Amino acid sequence: MAEKLDVKPGTLALMILKTLEVLGPLHGYGINRRIEETSKNRITLNYGTLYPALLKLEQEGFVTAEWRQSENNRRAKYYALTAAGRKQLAREAREWHQTADLIAAFLGARRETP
Amino acid sequence: MKHLRAALARITGFFTGHRQDDELREELQSHLDMETAEYIRRGMHPDDAHRRALLTSGGLTQAAEAVRDQRGLPWIEGIAADIRYALRALRHSPAFTTVAALTLALGIGANTAIFSVVRAVLLKPLPHKDGDRLVYLRHSADGPGGANVLFSVPEIRDFREGAKSLGGIAEYSPFFSILQDDDGAARLDVGLVTGNFFDVMGLSPLLGRLTRPSDDGPGVPPVMVLSHEFWMKRFGGDPAVVGKQVKLDAGTVTVIGVLEPAPFFPNRVDALLNMVISKHHLSALMVQGRTHRMTEMVARLAPGATVEQASTDVATVDARVQHEFKDAYDPGSHYRVAVIPFKEALGDRARLTLLLLMGAAAFVLIISAANVVNLTLMRGVRRQQELVVRAALGAGVARLRRLLLVENLVLTITGGLLGVILAIGGVSLLTSLAERYSPRANEIRLDVVVLGFTLSLSVALALLLSFAGSLPKEGSFASAIAAGARRISGSLSKHRLQRALVIAQIAVSVVLLAGAGLLTRTISRLSEVDTGLKTEEVLTIPVQLLSFGGGDFAKILAGDVAAKQGYDRIRGEIQALPGVTVVGVGSTLPLRGAEMGLDVKAEGRALAVGEATPRASLRTADPDYFRAAGIPLLKGRAFARTDQPGGGRVVILNQVLADRLFPGEDPIGRRVAWTGDVLRFSPFSGDWRTVVGVVGNTRDAGLDAPPPPAMFMPFAQELAMGGGVVIRADGDPEALAAGATRIVRRIAPTVPIGKVMTVAQYKAESVAPRRLNAELVSLFGILAVLIAAVGIAGVLAFSVSARSNEIGIRMSLGADSARVQRMILKEGGLLLAIGLVAGVGGAYFATRVMHGLLFGIAPHDPLTFIGVAVVMAAIGILACWIPALRAARIDPAIAMRAS
Repeated sequence: MAEKLDVKPGTLALMILKTLEVLGPLHGYGINRRIEETSKNRITLNYGTLYPALLKLEQEGFVTAEWRQSENNRRAKYYALTAAGRKQLAREAREWHQTADLIAAFLGARRETP
Repeated sequence: MKHLRAALARITGFFTGHRQDDELREELQSHLDMETAEYIRRGMHPDDAHRRALLTSGGLTQAAEAVRDQRGLPWIEGIAADIRYALRALRHSPAFTTVAALTLALGIGANTAIFSVVRAVLLKPLPHKDGDRLVYLRHSADGPGGANVLFSVPEIRDFREGAKSLGGIAEYSPFFSILQDDDGAARLDVGLVTGNFFDVMGLSPLLGRLTRPSDDGPGVPPVMVLSHEFWMKRFGGDPAVVGKQVKLDAGTVTVIGVLEPAPFFPNRVDALLNMVISKHHLSALMVQGRTHRMTEMVARLAPGATVEQASTDVATVDARVQHEFKDAYDPGSHYRVAVIPFKEALGDRARLTLLLLMGAAAFVLIISAANVVNLTLMRGVRRQQELVVRAALGAGVARLRRLLLVENLVLTITGGLLGVILAIGGVSLLTSLAERYSPRANEIRLDVVVLGFTLSLSVALALLLSFAGSLPKEGSFASAIAAGARRISGSLSKHRLQRALVIAQIAVSVVLLAGAGLLTRTISRLSEVDTGLKTEEVLTIPVQLLSFGGGDFAKILAGDVAAKQGYDRIRGEIQALPGVTVVGVGSTLPLRGAEMGLDVKAEGRALAVGEATPRASLRTADPDYFRAAGIPLLKGRAFARTDQPGGGRVVILNQVLADRLFPGEDPIGRRVAWTGDVLRFSPFSGDWRTVVGVVGNTRDAGLDAPPPPAMFMPFAQELAMGGGVVIRADGDPEALAAGATRIVRRIAPTVPIGKVMTVAQYKAESVAPRRLNAELVSLFGILAVLIAAVGIAGVLAFSVSARSNEIGIRMSLGADSARVQRMILKEGGLLLAIGLVAGVGGAYFATRVMHGLLFGIAPHDPLTFIGVAVVMAAIGILACWIPALRAARIDPAIAMRAS
C-alpha cells in the first residue's frame, strides 16, 4: 500500500469541490471513493472528517444537498456544487497553483556561488 | 459574508438539531451500506465486509458527534449539558449540596449585606457635582468640647482671602427653629447658609430654586429650601409646597425649592434658609466677632489644587491670623484647622465600625469557603474513580475541568442567591445601625453594583473550588483504574491541605471570637460605668419653652418671663400627680451634654504659663433639680428659692471643676466667673459668682468619656434655656409619662416635646449602636465557630472512613476501642491546638485595630483571650468526639472484609 498522507488543513474542501465539479452531484460515499482513488489510496477519510467538511461547505453556501435515489436504488444524500461553490473552487485552485509554483521555485533553486 | 452565513446556519442548526440527527444517522448508514456492498462485490464475506466498512468509517458515533459540533453551537450545547450534569451530580449528594450551599449562603450573605452598607456610606461617589473636590474644614482645640469649635465669620473671611487653593467657600450655620402648621409644632433642624452654598456644594434643586448670592445680607425676604427627606416626611412630597408661606417661630418664610437628596454634615438638616431669618447672624457681633464661632465651612478645591495644597494654604493663613490676633487664640488650647475631603468627613464616624464588620464578615466567608473546599476535597476523593473512568472513556481532562467548574458555579451561585435573600433581611438591620453613624445611611441599597459584587464573589469561590480538587493526569488513567477504588483515599498532600484548612478555620474563628468577646465586654463595662447619678429611674421630658427665634434680644427677654411662668405651672401641676415625689427643671437633662461651654476663672488664681484656660459646661438648675435628677450634693447647699434675680449671684460646681479651680482647697464661699472673649456674644455676665455647693460628677459626655467640668447657675437667675423637666416618683416613673406629657402639652401647646423617657432608657439608647455592633460581631463569631466545628468534625470523619481498614487491622492486632478513640481524638486535638495557638497569636494583632471601639478593656485582655480559647477548645473537642466515637465502634471484621 502506498504511503498514507494526512489531509492538510483547507485542502479537503478543495478536493470535495473539485470532485463535485468533475463528477457532478454525488453522495458522501462517492466523494470518499473518488478522493481515495485520485490520491491512489494515499488518503483515507473517516466519516468524522468527511461529513463535518461537507456540512461546513453547505453552511457556507458552496454546495447544496438533497436526498435522491442512487444508481443501485438506495436512498442517499447527494451534494451538488453551487455557483458560489464554483467561484470558490476557481479561487482556491488558483491560490494553490500559485503557492505550489512558489514552493517549487524555492525548492528547485540551486546553491548559488557568491 | 461566508462567515455570517455559516454563523446563521449554525444558529439555526442549534435549534433544529434533533430533527437533523435522524437525517444524519440515515446518511451515515447509507454510506456504510454502500461501502459494505462494495466490499461484498469485491468478494468478501458479508460479515467481514461489514466489519471492514465499520473499521474504515472511524466510528459512526464519533462522526455524528463531529458533525453535530460543526452543525450547531457546541459551546452552548456543551454548557447546557454540563449544567444538566452538574444539577444531577449535586442532586445525587444532597447532604453535600445542602451543607455547602448553606455555608456559602451565610458567608456570601453577610458580605453582601455589609458591602452594601460600606459602599453607600464610605465608597459611593457623593451625589454632589464633582463631589470629590469638596472639602470640609474642621477647627479644633485641646480640651473638652474642642473637637470641633466651628469658625467665626472673620476667620472664614481670612481663608476666603488668603487660601487661594480653595475655589469657593460656603458658610453653613447649624440652627434650629420651631415650625407651626396644621399638623402642630415641630422642631426643625436647619442650616443658615450663604447664597453661594449650593453652588459650592454642587447641588441642584428637585423643584423650584435654591438660594443664591442675592439672598445674602439684610433687607431681603427670608426663604427656605426643603431637604428631600423632610419634604417627603412633612409635606408628603407635594410639589405645590414651592411658593408656600411657612410659619416658623422666627418669622414667616417662603419655601422656594426642594433640594435633591444629599447627605449633610455634621448633622442632618430639615431645611436650609438664608441668613436674614436670624437677626443675630447679621449683627455686628456675629459678623465682626472673631471668637464668635458658629459657622461650619465647606469649600470646593480650586481647579488643579489638591487637598495637600489646601491644607498648606489653610495652615499658613491660620498661623498668620493666630499671630495677628493673639487674644482670640489661647496658646494653651492649640487651635488648628484640618482640611478633610467631604466624603471622608461624612464617613468618619462610621469607618472604624464598618471596617470591623467588613473584616468580621470576610472572616466568616474565609471559614465558609475553607469548609466548602474541604467538603469538595472529600467528595472529590470519593468521586475520583468516577472521574478517572470518565477521562479514560474519552471525556478529556479539559472537559472534566470544565464540568467541575460548571458544577461549582451552580453551587456557589445557588449559595449567592440564598445569600442575597439573607442579605435583604440583614440590610434593614444594618441600616438602623448605620443611621447612628452616618448621614448617608439612606443611600444603602442592594443595587446592581452590590449584586455584581456578590456575583464576582460567587464566581471567585467557584474558581477556587475548581482548583482545589485535582483531576487525574493525562496518561495515568490506566494505573489509576488498576489501583481500584479502595486504594484511592487521597494523597498525603491533599490530606495536608485539608488539615491546614481546618487549622485556618479554627484560627480565624478564635480571632473573630476574641473581637466579639472584647466588644461584648466593652458593653458590659459601659453598663457598669458609674453614671454619678443616685438613680436612673427618673422620667425626663425635654421641652424648651423659650424661643430664640430670630435672635432678637428684646423679644427673647420678653419670652423669657413667659417661659419661666410656664415652667412654674408645669412643675406645679406635675408635682400634684399622684406618686410624684420631686420635680426639677434645668437647662440640661441628666447624662446629656450641655449645649454651651465657656471659659471660667477663679478669683485669686492665675493660670500657669502654657496652661489652657479651664472650660466648663454651662448649666442651670432649679432648687429641686439635683434631688430630682439624683445628682448627689457633696458639699455646701443646693440652690434655694431665695436665689432669685436681683439676689446674690451663686453657683454650684461639679467635683471635676472644683478640683480644677481649687485644687486641695474648700471651694465653698470662693468666687468664680465666666470669662473669655466669647462672653460678649452670650447673654451671660462675667460677674463674680459665689460658690455655694459642690455636686458629684455625672457622665454627661457619654458613658465612655470622662465627666466634663460643669458649672450650674440658678434657673431663675438666667435665661430659661433649653432643657426640660425631671421627675422622680414613688413607683415606676414611666407610668407617669402619659399624664405628665399631657400637662406639658396643655400648658405649652405650640412647643414641640422631645422624646419622653427615663434616664435609664436614655442610657440604654446611647449604647444601643455599640450593643448592636457587638451583637453582630458575636453573631459572626458564633457562625464561624459552628462552621469550624462542622469542618473539623467532617475532616476527622473522613479520615476515619479512609483509615477504617487500618483501624480494623489495629483492632484485630489488639488495640481496644478506647485506644482507637484516643488516636482519632489526638489527631483532631493536634489540629485544634495548632489552630488555637495561631488564632490567639492572630487575635493579638487583629484586635489592636479595634482599640478605638473598646472601653475599659485592653485590646489584648488576657481574660477574654483565655475565655475565647477555652470556648473554642471545648467546642472543638466536642466536634472531634463524634468521629472518634465512630472510629471506636468500627467492627474490625467488617472493616477488613470491605477492603
